[in-house]
Amino acid sequence: MSDPGSSDGVDLGSQAWDDLARTARSTEDGDEQQEDLRQLLTFEVDSTPYAVPVERVREIVRIRPITPVPHVPKEVLGVISLRGEIVEVIDLRLRLALPPTDPVRSTRIIVVHTEDGKVAGILVDAVREVSRVAEDSIRPSTNSGTGSVEALCVRGDEFVSLMDLDRVLEIHAEH
Amino acid sequence: MAKKKTTTRRRRSTKADREFISEAEEIVERMRNDLADLTDQCSGSGDVDPELLNGIFRSAHSLKALAGLFGFEPIQELAHRLEDILDGLRLGRVVLGMPALTLIEEAVNVFGSLLQRIGDSEALAEAGDQITDLSNRIETATQQASPEAGEFDSLDLDASLLRALTEYEEHRLRESLERGRHIVIVESTFEIISFEEGLSELSTAIREIGEVLSTLPAPGETPESQIRFSLLAATDLSLNELSSRLSFPSATVRSVCRARSSAEGTSDAAPPVQPVCEVAPEVPLQPVAHETVRDSENLQSLKSISDTVRVDIRKLDELMNLVGELVIQRGTLGDIVSSLLSDSKTARIGSDLSKVYKAFDRKLKGLQASVLDVRMVPLRQVFEKVSRVLRGLRRELDKTVRLEIRGADTELDKLIVEELVDPLMHTVRNALDHAIETPEERIAAGKDPEGCIKIEAFQRGNHVVIAVSDDGRGIDTARLRANAESRSLVGPDEVLTRQEMLDLVFLPGASTRDVVTETSGRGVGMDVVRSNVTALGGVVDIDSTPGRGTTISMTLPITLAIIQSLIVRVAGQRFAIPLNSVLETMLIEESDIQRSEGCEMINLRGDALPLRRLASEFELNESASDGREFVVVLGMGDLRIGLLVDSLEGQQDTVIKPIQGPIQTVDGIAGATELGDGDPVLVLDVASFVEDSSRGREAA
Repeated sequence: MSDPGSSDGVDLGSQAWDDLARTARSTEDGDEQQEDLRQLLTFEVDSTPYAVPVERVREIVRIRPITPVPHVPKEVLGVISLRGEIVEVIDLRLRLALPPTDPVRSTRIIVVHTEDGKVAGILVDAVREVSRVAEDSIRPSTNSGTGSVEALCVRGDEFVSLMDLDRVLEIHAEH
Repeated sequence: MAKKKTTTRRRRSTKADREFISEAEEIVERMRNDLADLTDQCSGSGDVDPELLNGIFRSAHSLKALAGLFGFEPIQELAHRLEDILDGLRLGRVVLGMPALTLIEEAVNVFGSLLQRIGDSEALAEAGDQITDLSNRIETATQQASPEAGEFDSLDLDASLLRALTEYEEHRLRESLERGRHIVIVESTFEIISFEEGLSELSTAIREIGEVLSTLPAPGETPESQIRFSLLAATDLSLNELSSRLSFPSATVRSVCRARSSAEGTSDAAPPVQPVCEVAPEVPLQPVAHETVRDSENLQSLKSISDTVRVDIRKLDELMNLVGELVIQRGTLGDIVSSLLSDSKTARIGSDLSKVYKAFDRKLKGLQASVLDVRMVPLRQVFEKVSRVLRGLRRELDKTVRLEIRGADTELDKLIVEELVDPLMHTVRNALDHAIETPEERIAAGKDPEGCIKIEAFQRGNHVVIAVSDDGRGIDTARLRANAESRSLVGPDEVLTRQEMLDLVFLPGASTRDVVTETSGRGVGMDVVRSNVTALGGVVDIDSTPGRGTTISMTLPITLAIIQSLIVRVAGQRFAIPLNSVLETMLIEESDIQRSEGCEMINLRGDALPLRRLASEFELNESASDGREFVVVLGMGDLRIGLLVDSLEGQQDTVIKPIQGPIQTVDGIAGATELGDGDPVLVLDVASFVEDSSRGREAA
């Protein structure tokens, strides 16, 4: 049985992520004149594919000890240290109102930033790949329960949910 | 004799003067450098970099603004004249040559000598005539006739395009022509949605081989989604060379030089026309102005007067972070040393390493102290700002008040000092507007008709206390209470102690005033003061005696950078408590704890010390108690509480980092720190614990 971690680009350390991003960039240069393309990082939560724009991804790290923080909503798991920077980690399962599970081998923290520079880690079940999709294959989403999905993207025979990161990271302290 | 007088006067220059001097010096120095380059270029090739002129122009402008801000009129006036002539030069209205350069040089030298004599009013007055004379000469030079019109007839340019050029662009075009450059028009069409990007790419490409004189939308038919631009450019290359070097797919290049369109000569082939430099470079550049300056001062002017460097505080933060990380590494290194020492096999290496470690430790402590020291600034500046404002208000409110300032040399972290201005200003305004009575009222009350506001700063342990006290009417607690009751913040039957009554001042909207004035009384103020000070990790205390006066004291940590922390453990999780707020720790038996109204407390040398359990504050699973607990006694200002924790894990140097993410402020948490093992540890916000506790009874 093949190692699920290395077979399909799931095992992404930060080095691997850099390589991946570089490859994606160089393939893009090759056929620059093509129609509008968006680069998405696809990952899995509860066996469902989700994606965020690559330009919002800062790095991908393996699961590490998370220090819990008091008085915060349960989807905020706590904080991790990224080379001295203290960053909150959000459990995407809980944020999307899905049942919680224990971390597995493929669990990763994707460190993202919003347009206004807010940084956070989001905990996902597995990271899949970086892919380029044509702008016209993206459809606005109309029925997102938590408001976290802004669009759907058709990939072969499945739909990939494109996350609205600003909404995902809009969590308010409990009082 | 006269000389001696001068020196004593010079010594009297104020803080504001010094601030001005240090900033102005930088500007004058920059002007001097740019001017030297400009003179070189002008007397050398004659090819002048327009950016140099622009740079000097900007410097003159900044100097004018700065001098205006600090009220140095002679300097402002001269800078203004200088700005005029530089603008003229920039636009080609004034001929760029030695006469103009000499005038600028003279002005720059006058600035230099004026800066040395700031604070010496007599000398400044003496310089007045000199400045007027120079200003007049500059003005005359500025008003020279501008070059003739109709000079662009030789160019194959649309009249509408020529009209669209700004004066500056026109001047650059004229210059380029005089230098025998090729004038071309580069046209290109861009998609409207992305034209900014494309246009800037094209401009960059042109800049590599020449100068962009002007960018204008081009007339002509274009599809609706597209926009066409003409870029007027000057280059030393020939049209053919240009076309081949300009690698921009959609652009077309057209030469507009009718006369020279066939001439392939570059500017070095055709000798540049030099109508601009008329005077030989060896003409002495230091006339009139310097004759009045004594030789000794002339020498001095080469040296910088102020020996300060202005540094961006963020650079210091970076430095601080690095030191912080080194400090953490040192901890890890220390652990390795002790584990080497504890094993007999490695004890030898261990003891060698231990010596190195100790030396390293000493140096690092020195480094840490120096970096911290760089961040420290005296409170004087803030106090002076406050007293300036107070003097203005005093007139406005028609009150006679004297301000006494003590401890202005007390130092605090620059960042804290910056944040302190507003709360301090609020407090002093309040004192003046609310507390101090009118002279008549004061006489009637048997007081000195002149009121007194005291601002006092002093260091207490790792904190600095800033106390603002007045000898006014004191706080009318009954009125304060009535105000709070009217807004249902306090129930009519609630029993409040005197201190609790006074604390009502810090509630949002609290006021003892019926009339709202410009100064205060709008009910914003003390709550803002408290939240500002709390954000800095400090506390505000208030004390007031009716008829005698009020004292408001702010207790602040000296620095926010590296701090010593006590590491404690509760329910398996570690927390860091800034040591500057820890008064003592002790081990108690469960049976020592007493209760009153549901609050736990212990007897601490005769005083009741209220207790808080960290585990229940943070909703952690309380671990099974073995009947013994640790109490960390926390103190802030005059408040004391005891925090119950499971165990103490020693002291560590910590750098408090902000938490990044959706939730940036958490009650009771000041930030987080890393202790060398990679796991973040939360740092407690002691002020919020202590203050919550003092107000806790009302809430409970």
